[in-house]
Amino acid sequence: MPLTTPWHSRALTAALLATVLTASSACGDDATGTSAGGSIKIGLLASLSGTYQAVGTEIRDGFQLYLDTHDGKLGGRQVDLVVADEGNGAQTAVPAATKLLKQDRVSALTGIVGGGSVAGVTPLLNETKVPLVGSNGRPELKDVSRVWHTSYLSDEPGAAIAQHVRDNVKGSVYAIGPDYQGGWDELRGFTDAFTKIGGKLANADGKTTFTPFPATTNFTPYFARIKASGAAAVYTFYAGSAAVDFVKQYAQSEIKDVPLYAAGFLTEGGVLNAQGEAARDIYSVLNYSPDLDNAENRAFVAAWKAKHDGSPTTYALASYDAAAVLDRAIGAAGSDPTPEAINAAIAQLGQIASPRGTWQFSTTTHSPVQKWYLRQVRQDGRALSNTVVGDLATVGR
Amino acid sequence: MVAAGPNRIDPYLIPALDGVAYGLLVFVAASGLVFCFGVANILNLAHGMLYAIGGYTAAALLDGGWASLALALAVGVLAAAAAGVLLAGLLTPVATGNHLTQALLTFGVALAGGSLLVAGFGPDDPRVRVPAALDGSVVVAGHRYAAYRLVFIVVAAVISAALYLVVRRTRAGMLVRAAVDDPEMVACMGVSPTRIRAGVLAAAGALAGAAGVLGAPIIGPGTDTADTVLLLSLVVVVLGGLGSMAGTLLAALAIGEIQTLGVALLPSAAPFLLFAAMAAVLAVRARGLATRWRTT
Repeated sequence: MPLTTPWHSRALTAALLATVLTASSACGDDATGTSAGGSIKIGLLASLSGTYQAVGTEIRDGFQLYLDTHDGKLGGRQVDLVVADEGNGAQTAVPAATKLLKQDRVSALTGIVGGGSVAGVTPLLNETKVPLVGSNGRPELKDVSRVWHTSYLSDEPGAAIAQHVRDNVKGSVYAIGPDYQGGWDELRGFTDAFTKIGGKLANADGKTTFTPFPATTNFTPYFARIKASGAAAVYTFYAGSAAVDFVKQYAQSEIKDVPLYAAGFLTEGGVLNAQGEAARDIYSVLNYSPDLDNAENRAFVAAWKAKHDGSPTTYALASYDAAAVLDRAIGAAGSDPTPEAINAAIAQLGQIASPRGTWQFSTTTHSPVQKWYLRQVRQDGRALSNTVVGDLATVGR
Repeated sequence: MVAAGPNRIDPYLIPALDGVAYGLLVFVAASGLVFCFGVANILNLAHGMLYAIGGYTAAALLDGGWASLALALAVGVLAAAAAGVLLAGLLTPVATGNHLTQALLTFGVALAGGSLLVAGFGPDDPRVRVPAALDGSVVVAGHRYAAYRLVFIVVAAVISAALYLVVRRTRAGMLVRAAVDDPEMVACMGVSPTRIRAGVLAAAGALAGAAGVLGAPIIGPGTDTADTVLLLSLVVVVLGGLGSMAGTLLAALAIGEIQTLGVALLPSAAPFLLFAAMAAVLAVRARGLATRWRTT
């Protein structure tokens, strides 16, 4: 064949490209943050593009909602919010954070979707002495002196639901999750607490089954193993597209009648819409649900629904709370709210009223000591929604 | 041991069946890339995006009825074919076989197109509503299995057979093959090579679009879909070579089984099973699995 390139060398070209694609998918001025006019500069870093765009958008909108409902002020000062794109991880987050911290000279940083991004940005915080009030990702950190989180630690959802699963499931439980740091933490939280109180895992070797992430789009082979294990229930954690695939395929698999318990992200936000009927009846554990009955939550949900389609998620809530934390801390930091003063004020906040219920920062981890809720996907009007069916443990350390 | 036989095989029946469904989807999705690359010598890295166009069309148009499925199929195929023609237009100044330039250009188009799709349809994975009759599960040999996937196996087999007949038996298929063998002679006959290139890319787009619409309930539309499909298609090229449709089909089915049956048998090896197989094939026989099929 008179082709310009022999076809087997084209196959090698393709092999090379496949390898490259796999590897890539593994993935100023002198003004200070405050001015005499009583305004203050806050930096918000979130994934506004890439894989986590949906979460990043919620985080931006949650913070903005707090500003919109509080005259654009935090601690009595007009807020100059500088938004930057975190992208897919530390690689893009660190340059963006550097710009916010060193060029824009913000007084405090908030947002950040990925745990890896937080780990990458932390050294910059100590260098510039600016506090971070993070609203999502939270990796293991040695030094949390300037790091605060309004979200949760990754192993807390599983720890909070373990007792409920132990009490309500007659038999062994199969644990399965995605093979990356977040998945390990989420599943370890459950399996450690569950086995400690006498629960038994159905997995063949007593160890959690981890699926390649994000490569796994077909869960059928894992469902066959779960079926063969004779498990009485399944505990899992997935988020994003993997959560959609897992739930849709589960509902049509041979284990569709096996009760499914999960960390709340499995059915949280946009993924629930994509899952549709397949998500019905799934139990999940989360620190928030839009149907919680308290005054703060009713106001929050009403304000959110006035601006957006659908209900707020835990991501939007955490960012809304980050704004609330900064509001009180800046107010308490006195006439000159320097980054150091704000950081010191956050440590003194005590109880914080929030749509999720009252919570406070742990003095050791700087993340919330908060109550977790058991939710089930049920009909709510015309749509399916995560409905609170009970309180679980209060977790935090 | 004999008595233990069925019980040992039993848990793997569904993964094996699912491997066929998955493999056939990969075949229909990848055949357009193999077609472009193998026959017309165009390396199209925007191929995954063409699939995503079909997937998003399905999500936007499907409402749970049969009519919407037919409509989504028609619109998805046309939209992806049109995108293919657009790519052919962009590739016109690039010499055939200049793979680096083709790769850079089509990869750029894939990035831009992917962003446009996300901007248009939102960052969340959209919901795909298959016809109500297929939105359940059926019992196969004592196991539950998704009805849609069972039907998909039949449909994808029909598409594959039709594809074979078109390439082998029709005038269009002959022209394409002739244009590769002797473009000047074909031009002398009054057929423009540019039009043939446009035709090949349109056909590849149509195939990817059809795979995107019909495969949306299996590999659904989302921000990563284009990358996933492109990667699987490139692995098909590596495993199956470019010599024959049979090689492509064999490679696609092998990928399907590795991704399902292989994972069920060896879950701890799941992260690298597919690429271990690819590496093994390259090490043993750099020409791919298809060598012995080339004469057919």
